[in-house]
Amino acid sequence: MKRSTRWARFLLAMPLHPMFIALVLCAALSQISAAKVGATAPDFTGTASNGKTFRLSEYRGKYVVLEWHNNGCPYVRKQYNSGNMQRLQKQWTGQGVVWFTILSSAPGKQGYVTAGEENDYLAKMRASPTAAMLDPTGEIGHLYDAKTSPHMFVINPQGVVIYDGAIDDKPTTELSDVPGATNYVSLALEQAMAGKQVAIAATRPYGCSVKYSDSMH
Amino acid sequence: MARRLIFGVAVLLGAASARGAGAPIPHGTLELIAEKQEVAAGHTLDVGLRFQLEKGWHVYWTNPGDSGEPPRVEWHLPAGLSAGAIEWPAPSRLESGSIVDYGYEDALLLIVPIRAKPSLAAQPAAQLGAEVRVLVCSHEMCIPSKVALSLALPIQSQPPRPDARTADLFAATRKALPRPAPPNWKFSVADGNESFVLTAALPAKLAHSITQAIFFPLAESQIENASPQKLQTSAAGFQLTLRKSDRLLKPIERLRGVLVLTSSPLDNRGYFIDVPVSKPGAERPLVQ
Repeated sequence: MKRSTRWARFLLAMPLHPMFIALVLCAALSQISAAKVGATAPDFTGTASNGKTFRLSEYRGKYVVLEWHNNGCPYVRKQYNSGNMQRLQKQWTGQGVVWFTILSSAPGKQGYVTAGEENDYLAKMRASPTAAMLDPTGEIGHLYDAKTSPHMFVINPQGVVIYDGAIDDKPTTELSDVPGATNYVSLALEQAMAGKQVAIAATRPYGCSVKYSDSMH
Repeated sequence: MARRLIFGVAVLLGAASARGAGAPIPHGTLELIAEKQEVAAGHTLDVGLRFQLEKGWHVYWTNPGDSGEPPRVEWHLPAGLSAGAIEWPAPSRLESGSIVDYGYEDALLLIVPIRAKPSLAAQPAAQLGAEVRVLVCSHEMCIPSKVALSLALPIQSQPPRPDARTADLFAATRKALPRPAPPNWKFSVADGNESFVLTAALPAKLAHSITQAIFFPLAESQIENASPQKLQTSAAGFQLTLRKSDRLLKPIERLRGVLVLTSSPLDNRGYFIDVPVSKPGAERPLVQ
C-alpha cells in the first residue's frame, strides 16, 4: 500500500480511535457545570419569548443577572406574588444591568411555557427582565448546573461569575420572609459596582428542583 | 342539665386531643404522638412527628441536598416543659437526573425529647402544641403546608406508663437512628483539588463485608450532591471520593455528617462522623 494511502486511511479512521473519542468526551464533559465563581461565565445563545436571539458574550461591558424560573414553584411564587422579583428587575435594569430569566423546564413539566404563555405571564406579573430565554432542552441550565428555581447568577462586565446561589437568606416559601431578607443579588451588584469584593459570592440555591428533561417521571 | 352537657362535650374534646389526632398534609398525614401516656416531672419524654406519605412523595432531611426544605417545628408548650432537637433518621438519596436531594419516602417518625422541670406541678391535661411547616414534593412539584398539632398529656410525679399503641414505633425508630462511629474505627479526610477523599480504617472482619458506603453531609454546599461517591474497598477499610461543590469557595476544617454503611452483618446502618480535613498531600494511605 502506498504511504499516502496508509495516512489517508489512518486519518479517516481517527475519529473512531478510542483516544480521540476520549478527548472529545473530556472536552464535552468539561462544559457540563462549567459555571464557577471567579471563572468566566460559560457563553450561550438563546431564543427569548419575544422571538429575539441573545448571546451572553455580546453583553461584555455590562453586569448580567441570570434568574432560573418556574412559575409553578412556590419559592418562585413567593418572589413574584410579593412583587419582589419584579422590583429587582426594574431597579437593576434601570441601572444598566442585563437581566435574563431562564426557563429550563422540559415540555410537559411544571414551569414549561410557550413563548406566548411566557409573554402573557410577564405582562400579567408586570415583570421586566431584559428577556425571558426559552431553554426547554435544558442546555443552558445544564451549562450552569442550575439546580433550583429560583437559582441566581451575577456576571460582571468582564464576563466573570461573581455570584452563584440563592436569591436571599430566607429559604422558605413564606411571603412574610421577603421584606426582611438580605437579597444576595442586590448585595453582589452593589458591592461590585462600588469596586468592592463581593462578600457573599456563593450560597446554596434554594427552591424547587429544575424540571429538566432527564428528571425521573 | 346544661352543666352535664358542657362537661360531656369537654370530655369528648379532651379525649380527641389526648389521642393526638393526625392532620392532613399534601399527599399524606402528620400526627403528634408520645411514647408514654404521661409526662413525669423531672424526666424527659420522647414525642414524635409521625409522617405517612403517598407513594411518589417525599419530605426532606436537615440538609435537604440540591433542592427542597426540611420540616420546621415551632413548639407551644406549657411552662416547665422544653423541647430538644429533632433526632433525624438516616436519609435516602432522592435522585432526579442531575439533581440529588436527601430525604424520606413512605413513613417517617421524627423523635423530639421534651424535658419536664422537677418542680412541675401535677396536671390532668397539659396541652403540647406544635406548629409544623413542611414541604412535600414529588419529582413533578412541591407543595408547602403549615399544620397545627396538639397532644394533651397529664403531668404527674410518678414514672409514666408506656403507650402500647406507639411503643414499638418509637423503639424501632430509635434503634435505627444514626449513632456515633465506634472509637476503634479511624477516619481521615484529604482535601484534593476537586474532591475530598474520606478514608476509613476498620476492623478486618467488617472491612471485608462492606458493600456500599454513602456519606450525607450535615452542612450544605460542601460536596456536589449529584456526583456518584466512588467507593474503593480494601482489607483495611475503604476510601470514598466526594466531589466538592462548585459553591465551596474556602477550605473547610471538618467534614461532619452521616455515613451509611451496607455490609452483611450490619445491613444499612448510619454513623455520625466528624473528621478533621487534612491539607493535600497529608492523606493517610490505607494500611494493607
